[in-house]
Amino acid sequence: MGLPLAISDLQVHGDDRRPILRIEALEIPSGCRLGIRGPSGAGKSTLLMALAGLAPASSGTIFWGDTDLSQMSEAERARFRRRHVGMIFQDFLLFEELTALANASLAAAYADADRRKQIREGAAAMLDHLGLGAHASRSVASFSGGERQRVAIARALAADPPVLLADEPTASLDRASADRLIDDLAALAAQKGTTLVVVSHDPAMYARMDRVVGIVDGRLVE
Amino acid sequence: MMQMAEFMQDYWVGLSATSQDIARLVALLLPAMLVGIAATRRYRPFGMIGAMIWRFRWTNALFVALIAVSVGLGVGLIAQERGLRQGSAHAAAKFDLIVSAPGSEIEMLLAAVFLQPTDAPLIEGETYDRIAHHDNVVLAAPLAYGDSYRAAPVIGTTAGFVEHLSGTLAQGRPFSAHGEAVIGARVDLKLGDSFVPAHGHGDGADHDAHAGHGYTVVGRMARSGSPWDRAILVPVEAVWEVHGLASGHAPGHEEDIGPPFDPAYFPGTPAVLVRATALWANYALHSEFTTERTMAFFPGAVLARLHSLLGDVRQAMSVMAMLTQLLVTAGVLTGLVIVTRLYARRLALMRALGAPARFVFAVVWGYAAILIGIGSAIGVTIGFAATRIISAIVTARTDIDVHASLDWPEFHLVAGFVSLTLLLALLPAFAALRRPVIADLRT
Repeated sequence: MGLPLAISDLQVHGDDRRPILRIEALEIPSGCRLGIRGPSGAGKSTLLMALAGLAPASSGTIFWGDTDLSQMSEAERARFRRRHVGMIFQDFLLFEELTALANASLAAAYADADRRKQIREGAAAMLDHLGLGAHASRSVASFSGGERQRVAIARALAADPPVLLADEPTASLDRASADRLIDDLAALAAQKGTTLVVVSHDPAMYARMDRVVGIVDGRLVE
Repeated sequence: MMQMAEFMQDYWVGLSATSQDIARLVALLLPAMLVGIAATRRYRPFGMIGAMIWRFRWTNALFVALIAVSVGLGVGLIAQERGLRQGSAHAAAKFDLIVSAPGSEIEMLLAAVFLQPTDAPLIEGETYDRIAHHDNVVLAAPLAYGDSYRAAPVIGTTAGFVEHLSGTLAQGRPFSAHGEAVIGARVDLKLGDSFVPAHGHGDGADHDAHAGHGYTVVGRMARSGSPWDRAILVPVEAVWEVHGLASGHAPGHEEDIGPPFDPAYFPGTPAVLVRATALWANYALHSEFTTERTMAFFPGAVLARLHSLLGDVRQAMSVMAMLTQLLVTAGVLTGLVIVTRLYARRLALMRALGAPARFVFAVVWGYAAILIGIGSAIGVTIGFAATRIISAIVTARTDIDVHASLDWPEFHLVAGFVSLTLLLALLPAFAALRRPVIADLRT
């Protein structure tokens, strides 16, 4: 099951202390699929990073369920991501030298001993589900863009996190690959009840979301 | 507290040399091992590290090569110096005490023990007689040199010296007549071969000076691992004879060989090897024959002085090698910091996915540790191989058996280097943690 999100009076400042994100309130229920759109530089990715605890809040709160990210230390936020958040990036960010399975089960390298097996099995099952089971032992260097992004999805969902954050997941893909990825992402989130937050410019992605919000100049617009 | 310290000291002194060396090795490696255990405990960073190494494999190979050369230099230096010291000491082992005319002990050592050509004043017959008939002397062998055959020095001496040097001969028998010779183990002659010696050595030798004074090989000595393996030993009387000197024996006994010699007909000898009845007697003889007219010296003691000098040179070179290692280490660590920046996006990805800071730290530190470890292991191999090659060359050129071997000092040096560099590798590991995750993800 997913986690509900509740943001209140959130402000995130840049390195130059200039505010780059101001969100008075945003709430989504557990298992909701939220799309975030907006022009480049509007603060979409910053919001995503704040939801992951990577961009610390200057003020306000970010509650995932009962957990307020804004009150956590860096180590605690890392632990939260490890246990509750899967992440997908625009250009995959895979280890080219490793196999698809090794990439998908990356988290096993630093997980507690009792979770390693679960993550590896989850990664293998996810690759299988995404049609890459037969290629699990191949280096991702030989994969197409669509295949790479599916490996990235498998990596994000291998530990079965309640929250999945995706930053422009279709931006580096051709249309056919992008459509398949959107189908996979939406279906998997629905199937597992995962709370999905996707930053995207892709209208096809918005069509598969439960809700779409916009960000303009760091502020939320519906 | 004092009792504890005393107990520890007693305990340490009670340990065998090997146990002490192992303890030193462990103590040197301990800091690196503790850091390694603390960094990697409960994690599996090696897949990531392998991927990082493979990603920039040629750059990493260059780092490994730099480390290997630096370590090899240090290891080779120590091993080579020890090999030379042990080889030269072994070559001089049979020479307890040398008595010669006053002069340079080192020059006489090189001449009498290592057979390096030199012009030296002679000891007279009366002096030799006093040495030979001393109560504490078992063997007083004259060593007369100056001739050669091809590259082999021809040494005039006694059959007793041949026996002292070789023990049982490998082939044949000791010489028993003027025209007979016993050859060293590596002399390119066979039993029964005859040869005419040249006067002098090398390019300046006069090959016709001793025409008509040939020798026949009757014996071959066992291998000694010293320059004497390339020497030809003949009766000292024959050397005197070919130089137109008295035979060392009274008229009517010109064909005799070996002691006793008649002081009145003893033409002189540059050096006398003396073997005493007991170890303590050597010191008494040394004292007795250190006079205005004679110089007595222990080759071992002179060698020890030379080794001490060599040790100073080694220390100077060791400092240079250490400086080289430090410079290489600084270069490698700087390179690691730069390469770590190349990995910044991957490290940021790990942190974004929730990897603990200690895991990221373990990946960077482990990456450096593997490069340093592999470089050091290859360095030890290079150092050992270089030592073997150099030892073989030195042995071929000097006939002093120089054995290449790895011993504890080399391992201690490498352990110290590894530990120090791995502690310094903490710096790029900490630096990697301070990098901004979001900015690195977007690079």
